Amino acid sequence: MSAHVGQPKIAAAKLQHHVMYVSDLNRSKDFYMKLFDLQFSALNHPDSSAAMRLSNQEMHFFSFGFYHHDLCLVKHHKLKMDNNSMLHFTLMARDRDAFDAIRKRAAEMSISVRDGRLIASAKRQPDQRAFCLQDPDRHWIEIIEERRP
Amino acid sequence: MTAVSYVPPNVLPPLLQKFAPLLKRKWFRQLVLAPPTITRRRFSNKTEDYGVFKPSLIAHIGQLSIYVQDIGRSRQWYETLGGLRHSRTCEQEPHPFKPGWTIRCCYMSATEHEECLVLVEERDPEGKVTVPSGMSFFHTAFELEGNRLEDVFAFAAQAKQAGFSRNYGPVRHNSQPPLGDGETGGNVACYFYDPDYNNVEFCGAMDTIENYRARYGDTKGSSRA
Repeated sequence: MSAHVGQPKIAAAKLQHHVMYVSDLNRSKDFYMKLFDLQFSALNHPDSSAAMRLSNQEMHFFSFGFYHHDLCLVKHHKLKMDNNSMLHFTLMARDRDAFDAIRKRAAEMSISVRDGRLIASAKRQPDQRAFCLQDPDRHWIEIIEERRP
Repeated sequence: MTAVSYVPPNVLPPLLQKFAPLLKRKWFRQLVLAPPTITRRRFSNKTEDYGVFKPSLIAHIGQLSIYVQDIGRSRQWYETLGGLRHSRTCEQEPHPFKPGWTIRCCYMSATEHEECLVLVEERDPEGKVTVPSGMSFFHTAFELEGNRLEDVFAFAAQAKQAGFSRNYGPVRHNSQPPLGDGETGGNVACYFYDPDYNNVEFCGAMDTIENYRARYGDTKGSSRA
């Protein structure tokens, strides 16, 4: 790489979607759909997708309700996933009611939660609620209440 | 600091990267999918055969923290290629869930998304920086300013001019020639490996609830697989 110095003309506007490895697609699909109401929007399988067939992967797509996909779960059929390249990711609960609903569902699903933000140096807004939990593959998820101006 | 040269096992070898554009050819996809087609295991990967969109409890992804070996090196990459802005780099702090370990965090912002990415140097109890495995996530995606097909192509050209090599794209994730690679989502995308081989997508023009039905109507996905 011989990158030039200076700001590119077209820049990233926002983090839009994230595609992470899981070890059991059905278990994780149940988890994310039950806890967050994520909408299953497509399935790329080695029997349906040339790219997945070539890469030995299977991908399940989920929508938050606006874009086609916001979070995707991938199973690599040859390689083993781990937790050594990602520390955590944050999901913004739609509003106060959504935040409370996720917290309630986590309790009903017997998921251990940890109050507050995960990383000590992360910014904290006054009165903004946050808690963290782990998915079935021990990926850390931080849930924060979206603040509307 | 000196970064360890490590290539994760899921990284696409250079030779395969050269052949990847063939996925935009329908005959090539048909060839790859010949075994499940012949054995009648093939099915559609198109959204109209699956999802009924409803709002979820989540509005959007707020932040992602990824491990890197060298914050300075990675910061420069995300600034120079993606136009991300450095917000702050913090002092070492205790690792949030590994007793005796520490992390140092560099917070990066996109034009419309404050501190969306955290570059994390992780140190074991002996103070040694860990090497990211590449096996926690397949890729992460940033939406580009403008959010149009033309913007993604302009971004890809700008990246090439700056000396960055793509590992895939630009392609459109649908079956429509000449750009479609037979995948799903409708987004136009190009992909790059960051200095630690984290796979990063820059994209635009993804299908939404509003435009999906308008684009495809009642067409069955299986009819355009």
